Amino acid sequence: MTVDQDAFRYLADAAVSVELETEDMTLNIGPQHPSTHGVLRLVAKVDGERVSDVEPAIGYMHRGYEKICEVRTYPQITAIVNRIDWTSGYANEVPLIVAAEKLMELEVPERAQYIRLILTEMARIASHFMFMASFPLELGAATPLMFALRERERVLDLIESVTGGRFHPNFNRIGGVKPAYGSGSTTRKITQDLPAGFFSGSRQAMDAVLATCDEIEDLVAGNEIFLARTKRVGVLPPEIAADYGVTGPNLRASGIRFDLRKVSDYLPYDRFDFVVPIGTMGDSWDRWWVRLEEIRQAARIVQQAIDGVPSGPLQAKVPKIIKVPKGEVYVRAENPKGEMGYYIVSEGGQGPYRLKIRSASFSNISILPWVLEGVLVPDIIAIMGSLDFVLGDVDR
Amino acid sequence: MTESPSDEAAAEPSPLEEFAATVASTVGAARHDVVFDTVKVYVDPSAWIETLRTAKHDLGLVHFSYLSAIDWANDVAVGDPPAEPVEERFEVLAAVADLTDGRLVHFSTSLSKDEPALPTATSVYAGAAWHEREAHEMFDIDFAGHPHLEKLYLPSDFEGHPLKKSYPLLTREVKPWPGTVDVEGMPDEGDEASDEGSDDAAVTTPAGATTENPGR
Repeated sequence: MTVDQDAFRYLADAAVSVELETEDMTLNIGPQHPSTHGVLRLVAKVDGERVSDVEPAIGYMHRGYEKICEVRTYPQITAIVNRIDWTSGYANEVPLIVAAEKLMELEVPERAQYIRLILTEMARIASHFMFMASFPLELGAATPLMFALRERERVLDLIESVTGGRFHPNFNRIGGVKPAYGSGSTTRKITQDLPAGFFSGSRQAMDAVLATCDEIEDLVAGNEIFLARTKRVGVLPPEIAADYGVTGPNLRASGIRFDLRKVSDYLPYDRFDFVVPIGTMGDSWDRWWVRLEEIRQAARIVQQAIDGVPSGPLQAKVPKIIKVPKGEVYVRAENPKGEMGYYIVSEGGQGPYRLKIRSASFSNISILPWVLEGVLVPDIIAIMGSLDFVLGDVDR
Repeated sequence: MTESPSDEAAAEPSPLEEFAATVASTVGAARHDVVFDTVKVYVDPSAWIETLRTAKHDLGLVHFSYLSAIDWANDVAVGDPPAEPVEERFEVLAAVADLTDGRLVHFSTSLSKDEPALPTATSVYAGAAWHEREAHEMFDIDFAGHPHLEKLYLPSDFEGHPLKKSYPLLTREVKPWPGTVDVEGMPDEGDEASDEGSDDAAVTTPAGATTENPGR
């Protein structure tokens, strides 16, 4: 905590609004603060317990992915984009690969599409459970963390059993998914592509996930402290959210029923029955509730999908050296954190000429100066936690 | 930019193409295309703000998705140059979308490379502020009227504009590179002329470096 000498310049302003003359203080939060999920620094001007102005300082994790992707091939980029939002590494790969496949006009086998969909939804469950663990913890409730992380581990085990990686699966290939256990052959027997017991394990895990959702709801939703800390805290009106490019559960909590899974065809979501939960107030509570409900819906999608996985090959026929034809394409997907999109400019090479990565958390936290203005200092933590961002996704 | 992937689409416009034509005529754009479901509408820099305002208020494209740029350059320090010679320019893209049918439009405008500048879109979409700061530091594009056009990701004393094609991958040039120890050669057909010289040099040169790395 440091007193900024410049703050004295704001004395005159402060004197207008309050009878007692107070001086604004500059409060540095972060860059290493447990509530910032990475390295985010907030430079807050506080007037007593009220925040008068917040300037997020980002870039501590900027890794220059857009530049480095210009000298990488598409299979190499798949490994890189896993690291953008590491709470749902698998989901980051899908829109990139779908975009490259669009440019190549590839028809992806149905089985591969189902596997992608199942793993994406599992990544969503894992990511949202991370939120279910961290958000109440930041408000002082440690117990939900145990429940949430236990289920998240179950889901990560399933992802690992298929892909070999818990956080960074690197499992998608242009034209399909990686045939399990190496060799790169596209003609392996279908019994070899998903590990034995995956379907029954998934069914059990989804039942457990749904049961844990009820437990977490019992634990948290009736807790008076949690309600007091979240209800009507950090209200985000829908038109402001749209203006700032907020997407995903944060947007839906503000009452906009918009989900790319319902309107876009990057994966065959139209074959499954699920609802898009929305909030009414757009406050921190709604953002928590929408995510809890999304876990339930994701579990429902997985349950339906594992019953309907078609047989067939895992990959379309693709040349050994993949060159993507000249063209431009933008593909976006509903990731756990919101809209994740890739704009590929291909000049016919093995890698893109330019790759724009549109990540969800970047736009989601650009709302912070707006939403934190005038709140109490402890509410900063509640609001930041409820926005569920990951700094890898912000800084790319 | 590129041709439409299917010819039959030209015979009977898809709903997306009709939508793109409506957007283009509403904002008064001379050119638009729909390639791989990606709608792109080309506008003049002088019509930039008016276009975005029309898109938001008249076309219902209320959601600001992103703003970014493409450096079209024939002489590149990293990666491969364009397949065919291109006109040297910055192409600025602003992606805006509706929140009902999931339709997204890329508005594209071209800026000359000497003193590229656009008026800021922050008065139309507040979310443009950070994206413009990023484009400013990465491409050196000026956004006139921006309230806070400071560096976003990079340190404030950082020099250069990393996403320009003329900007080399500096760490690749100076950091020791293990070369053959754990790096496979890039799959290469071998017939294309490579500026990395012989095959041996290609292995000891990190991807993106312009010179053979001396730190091996």
